[in-house]
Amino acid sequence: MKIGKIWNKLADPKTVPRLFAFCLGVILIVGFVVPMALNPDQIYTRPAPQEQVDEGLAIAPYDRGGEVLKSPGIINPQYPENARELGMITGYMSPLAQWVSSISPYFGTSIYSSPGGLIDEVLYYTRGFDTILESSILMMAFIIASWLTINYTMNKKDIEKDLKKAINDSSKVAHEVKVNDEKARAKQLRRDN
Amino acid sequence: MDFATLGGNIFGTIPLGDIVLYITPLNLFLFIVLLVFTLLIAISKTETQVEATLMKLSNTNVKVGKSEFKQRRFLAVICGIASAGAMITGDLFNFTLFMALIGILNIGIVSAVKQTSVLNSAYQYGLIAMMCSLPLFGGAAIILASTGTLSLEVLSQIQATPMVVFGAILMLLGILGESGVAPFFASKAEMFRTPGSPFIVIIHLSSLFIIVRAVEILLLVLW
Repeated sequence: MKIGKIWNKLADPKTVPRLFAFCLGVILIVGFVVPMALNPDQIYTRPAPQEQVDEGLAIAPYDRGGEVLKSPGIINPQYPENARELGMITGYMSPLAQWVSSISPYFGTSIYSSPGGLIDEVLYYTRGFDTILESSILMMAFIIASWLTINYTMNKKDIEKDLKKAINDSSKVAHEVKVNDEKARAKQLRRDN
Repeated sequence: MDFATLGGNIFGTIPLGDIVLYITPLNLFLFIVLLVFTLLIAISKTETQVEATLMKLSNTNVKVGKSEFKQRRFLAVICGIASAGAMITGDLFNFTLFMALIGILNIGIVSAVKQTSVLNSAYQYGLIAMMCSLPLFGGAAIILASTGTLSLEVLSQIQATPMVVFGAILMLLGILGESGVAPFFASKAEMFRTPGSPFIVIIHLSSLFIIVRAVEILLLVLW
């Protein structure tokens, strides 16, 4: 096949997502043969799975140690000089959270139940800019969706006007085409006779 | 490869915790050019396209309504700022986030157009952008897993393993799809065929700049 024909096929927007999905699939399959191993030397460390549960800690998978404002918890930043007070509030738990964790061994499995406590400082202190960006992506998506909703589904008058105009235009064009068609046919008939 | 080999001597850094924005002559130039373009776009008005009317001698003006104009200008300015941010970021994950933000803004800019062909191609582009989040973030995650860091400064000193190369290829595929380069250009190129020129142009401009920056980042990671 000529390259020009291939480019012409690719110029149809409909084929592009399919082509992209195909390429992605091929590369992901290639990924199976690439040797993969987790480098144990990570900056954002987590304890091994079930390690804290086996030790019987009250806030099992999320215990990072440390005392509030006294000693830092176990947190490892890339640039320690930019985050001097890192880890100082990692151990904070609200009074309600402390009470729940004292009576239940499963408190750590529900991170939502501890407002202000167990704050992941990796997320909000060292990598806070990422958090801002993530939420701004969501905000932009909501802005676009709500603008479209307000202007294209709630203002129905405009839509009706647009629809009427579109119907009128298309019927006008159809009528003109029909008239021209008949003219041409008549001309052809005359010529044939 | 070092920052210095690629972009010249480092003027300084902007530390935001672990995310350190660094400024080299190349990055600073790209950043300032994009901000100037964004400013020009912010103070300009949309063009009006003049089309020949079917079966008549008169012309038709294709205009952009006022509320649509305002929404497009807002999204175009945010898109310009996001691409400017991607120019000076010094963090791999941050770059992918900027890229995802630009992708959704590109769809937003053309979302209110009243031409079916443009909306159709924007929809197809949206499908690609959705698929792209897998290779983009997956690539960054694989690089993080194999090197243990996301900072470009540290990554540029680490030797690339096959896993890092695979992660970089995944990221490259994500960037190619999201910015609509070579084989995946059709859906994005069709999106511009509509009035409202200066705002539409930011779609094109952001992907051009992102590609330049992506090449720099991939060189930093791989060499």
